[in-house]
Amino acid sequence: MEQVIANGLYLGAQYALIALGLTLIFALMNVLNFAHGQMYVLGGFVTYSIYGQLKLPFALALVCSGVTLAIIGALMEKFLFRTVIRRSKREESTMLLAAATAFFLDAVILLLFGEKQRGVPKIVSGVFVSDWVILPYDRIVVGVIAILMIAAFVLYMQYSKPGRAMRALAQDRIAAQLMGVKVDRYSMIGFALGAMLAGVVGGLLVSITGVNSGIGGPISIKAFLMVMIGGAGVVGGAIAGGFILGMMESVGLTVLREYGDVTYLVIFALLMVFLSIRPNGLMGKPWG
Amino acid sequence: MAALFLLALLVGVPLLINATGRTDLYYTLTSVALLSIISAGVWITFYIGRINIGQGAYALIGGYVSAILVTTYGVSFWLTLPLAGLFCASVSVLIGLPILRLRGVYFAMVSLTLTEVARLLALALPITNGARGIVSIPLPGSISLFGIALVPDFATLANPRLAFYIVAILLMALCFVGLRRLAHSRIGQLCQSLQQNEELASSIGVNITYLRVVAYAISSFLGGVGGAMFASISQSIYPSSFTVADSVNFMLNCFLGGLAYVLGPMLGTFVLYFGWDVLFQTGEFQLLIFSTVLIVLILVLPNGLMSLTLPGKRSA
Amino acid sequence: MADILEIVGLTKRFGGLVAVSNVSFVVREREILSVIGPNGAGKSTLFKLIASFLRPTEGEVRFKGERISGLAPHITARKGVVRTFQETTIFKNMTVRDNVVTAHHLRSRASLAGFYFGSATARNDLEAFGNSADEILAFLGLAPMRDEIASTLPHGHLRALGIAIGLATDPSVILLDEPFAGMNHDETKRAVEIVRKLRERGVTVLLVEHDMAAVMNISDRIVVLNFGQRIAEGTPADIQRNPKVIEAYLGAEDESIGL
Ligand SMILES: Nc1ncnc2c1ncn2[C@@H]1O[C@H](COP(=O)(O)OP(=O)(O)O)[C@@H](O)[C@H]1O
Ligand SMILES: [Mg+2]
Repeated sequence: MEQVIANGLYLGAQYALIALGLTLIFALMNVLNFAHGQMYVLGGFVTYSIYGQLKLPFALALVCSGVTLAIIGALMEKFLFRTVIRRSKREESTMLLAAATAFFLDAVILLLFGEKQRGVPKIVSGVFVSDWVILPYDRIVVGVIAILMIAAFVLYMQYSKPGRAMRALAQDRIAAQLMGVKVDRYSMIGFALGAMLAGVVGGLLVSITGVNSGIGGPISIKAFLMVMIGGAGVVGGAIAGGFILGMMESVGLTVLREYGDVTYLVIFALLMVFLSIRPNGLMGKPWG
Repeated sequence: MAALFLLALLVGVPLLINATGRTDLYYTLTSVALLSIISAGVWITFYIGRINIGQGAYALIGGYVSAILVTTYGVSFWLTLPLAGLFCASVSVLIGLPILRLRGVYFAMVSLTLTEVARLLALALPITNGARGIVSIPLPGSISLFGIALVPDFATLANPRLAFYIVAILLMALCFVGLRRLAHSRIGQLCQSLQQNEELASSIGVNITYLRVVAYAISSFLGGVGGAMFASISQSIYPSSFTVADSVNFMLNCFLGGLAYVLGPMLGTFVLYFGWDVLFQTGEFQLLIFSTVLIVLILVLPNGLMSLTLPGKRSA
Repeated sequence: MADILEIVGLTKRFGGLVAVSNVSFVVREREILSVIGPNGAGKSTLFKLIASFLRPTEGEVRFKGERISGLAPHITARKGVVRTFQETTIFKNMTVRDNVVTAHHLRSRASLAGFYFGSATARNDLEAFGNSADEILAFLGLAPMRDEIASTLPHGHLRALGIAIGLATDPSVILLDEPFAGMNHDETKRAVEIVRKLRERGVTVLLVEHDMAAVMNISDRIVVLNFGQRIAEGTPADIQRNPKVIEAYLGAEDESIGL
C-alpha cells in the first residue's frame, strides 16, 4: 500500500507540472494547447541530446530544455495564436491552430530525432529500501525536483509582479487591460512559461522512462484528463488533478493488474460519471 | 447543378480513370467520400455549438458492429450499414445526455477522450478480438427484391473497387442532400439558435437538451455508417483503425472547408486528403510541409476555404 | 384583476450567500409591476427563479394557481412565463427578422420531422411565423432593419429586439430585466411606450429597472428588494415616500431614485 502511494505521489508530481502548463495557457488565452504533449517530447529530446549525447551535466540539460521550450512557446504565441485570436471571431479557430502546431512539432521531432525510443544514463544510481517502500533514488530526486518546481510556480504566480499580472489577466482580460496590464506581453510570458513547464517535465522524465516521438499525443490526453478532473484554468485544480490521476494510475496498475490493461478504461468511466455531477471539475469556473 | 456534379462523379470519373489507368484513384476517392460523410457528422455538432473531437470513436464502433454482425452472425452487410449507424446513435444518446451539458473546451476535451475510450474498449473486450482485430470480413453480398438482383454480390465482381466507389458516392450524395435540407429547414434555424445562445433558446421554449441529443445522434449515426463502410472495404477492423489523430482530422476537415457552409466538410476532406497524398512524394518532409501549409491556411483563411468562393454569403 | 403569479416564500442561497430571502408577493393580471433595489439586491436572481432558470432553495412560484418553480425553463416558457435578459441577449449572427421568426418556436404545431420534410402544417407554421414576426417588428419599430445582422444594431434597437423575441413567444407574463439600461433619453421614452403597448396587448409585465423616473412613470405597483429581502411594496407614490426605501438607496444611488 505504501508503495502504491509513493508511486502515486511520484507520478502525480510529474503530472501536476504538465497540467499546470496546460491550464496556465488555457487560463490566459482560452487556448486548449493540443501541442502540449509534443512540447514535453521536445523537452525530453533536448535533455537527451545534452545530457545523454554531449555528456554535459543533467541540471544544465534541464535548463536548456526549459529555455528552448520557453522560446518556442513565446514565438508560437507572438506569431501564431495572437494573430488568429485577433482575426477570427470563432473561439474554435485557436483549437484548430493548436492541432496544426501539434502536427508541426511532431514533424520537427521526427525529422530531428527519428522514431527510436531514447534513454539516458541514470542520474543517480541505487535504490532506497525500507520496510514499507522500495524506490530507486533517481525517482526520488526527480519527484522532489518536481514538487519543488510546483511550489516555485505557485509562489511565482502568487507573489511576483508577472505572476500577479497573469492572474489578473486570467480573471478578466478586459478589466486587466483597463488596469494597465500589458496584455500582449503577459500572454506571451504565460505561453512561454506553460511551454517551459512541459519541456522541463519532459527533460526530467527522460532520465527515467526515456522518450520517443510517439508519446506526445497520449501525454496531451493525460494532461486533458487532469485538467478536466481539477477544472480548467485553475492552478489548484491542475495540481489536484495531477495528483489524483497519478494516484489512480498507481492504484489501478496494482489493483486491476489481473484484468489486463484496463486502468485507463476505468479512469475514463469514473471521469464520465464525475463530470456528469460536476461539469466544471473540482474547482473550475463555469464555462461559456 | 448538384445532379450534374453527381453525374460527373458517377460517370465522368470512372471514364477518366479507365482512360488513364489510375485505378488506385478509386480507393482514394472512395476514402474521401466516406471521410467526408464522417466529417459531416462532426459538422452537425459544430452547428449546435459543440467542438466534437470524438467522431473517431463512433467510426470505430460502427466498423466493429458491422464486422461482428457480418462475420459472427452472418447478417448481410447492407443491413449492418444502417444497424451500425443506429447502434452508434443509441450509444451517443447515452453518452450525450451527460456530456452535452459541457461546453467549449470541456466538451472538446471529453469528446477527445472518447476516441481513446473506444480504442481501449476494442482492445479489452472479448468480442472485438483485441489487438488482432477482425480480419477477412467477406465482401458485401447481393441484394435482390422479388428475385431481381438490385445489387450484385461484390465478391463476383471483376472490379469491386468501382462498386465501392459508386456506393460511397451515392451515400455521400444522400448525406449532403439530407444535411443541406436540415440546415435550411427550421431545424437548422433552431440548431443555430443553440449555437449562438443556449440560454436564450431555452427561454423561447426550445427544449435544448432534446435538440442537442438529436443532433449528436445524427452526427454519430453518420460516423457509424462511415466506419462500417471502411471496415467492409478494407475487409478488416483494428482498435487502431480510427485513432485520436483521425478524430482531430475530422474536425480539421470541417474547419478547413468552413463551418458556415454545408459543403464545407466535403471540400475540406477532399483538400486535406489529396494534399496529404500529393505530399507523399516529399518523403520524410510530408508531415512538416503539410502542417506548415495548414498553419498558413489558418492564418490566411480563418473562416475556411468556402469563404473564398462565397464571400460573405452564408449558405448555412 | 385576478392574480396571475404568486411568489410564495421564495428563497435562494448560493453557498452561504442568501441572494433572495423569503420573498412573497403577487402579480395581478395585466399590470406593470416593477422590482427595484440597489445592485446585488437579488432582482435578477428573483427573475431567474420565476422563469425557472434557477431552482429555489425554498418556496415556490405559482402561475394561475399551478406550481411552476422547478420545471425546465422551456416548459415554463411554454406555459407563458418568459424572461428577457439583463445582458443584451439575441441570436447575434442571425438577421433581425430571423431572430423573431426563430423565437416563434412555442407556436409551432408541426413536429421536427414535419419541418424537415416540409409537411403542410409546417408550411402553415412558417408562414404564420413570418407574418407574426413582421407584425411584431412593425409594432416595435424594427421593420426598417429587419434584414440586418442582429449584432450590428445600435444599443436601443438591440433592447427592442430582445423584447421582440420575448413577444414572439406570445407570453402571458413577460419579465424584462433592465430593458432601458444604456439607453439615452429619447430611446427610453420610446421604450416606455413599448412597455405600455405590451400591456395593451394583454401581457402582464414584470420589470427590473434602475431608471427611477421611468419606473415611477409606468409602474402600477412596485416591489423593493434590499439584500434579498422584500422591504416595501406599493404604488409609486407610496414607494417614494417610504423611509425604508430611501434608507436602502442612501449613499448608494440616492440621486438616481429621483427624489
Ligand atoms: N450563480 C450565482 N452564484 C453565486 N452567487 C450569485 C449567483 N448569481 C447571483 N449571485 C449573487 O447574488 C446576489 C444577487 O445578485 P443579482 O440577483 O444579480 O442582483 P441584482 O440583479 O439585484 O443586481 C449578488 O450578491 C450576486 O453576487
Ligand atoms: Mg441584475
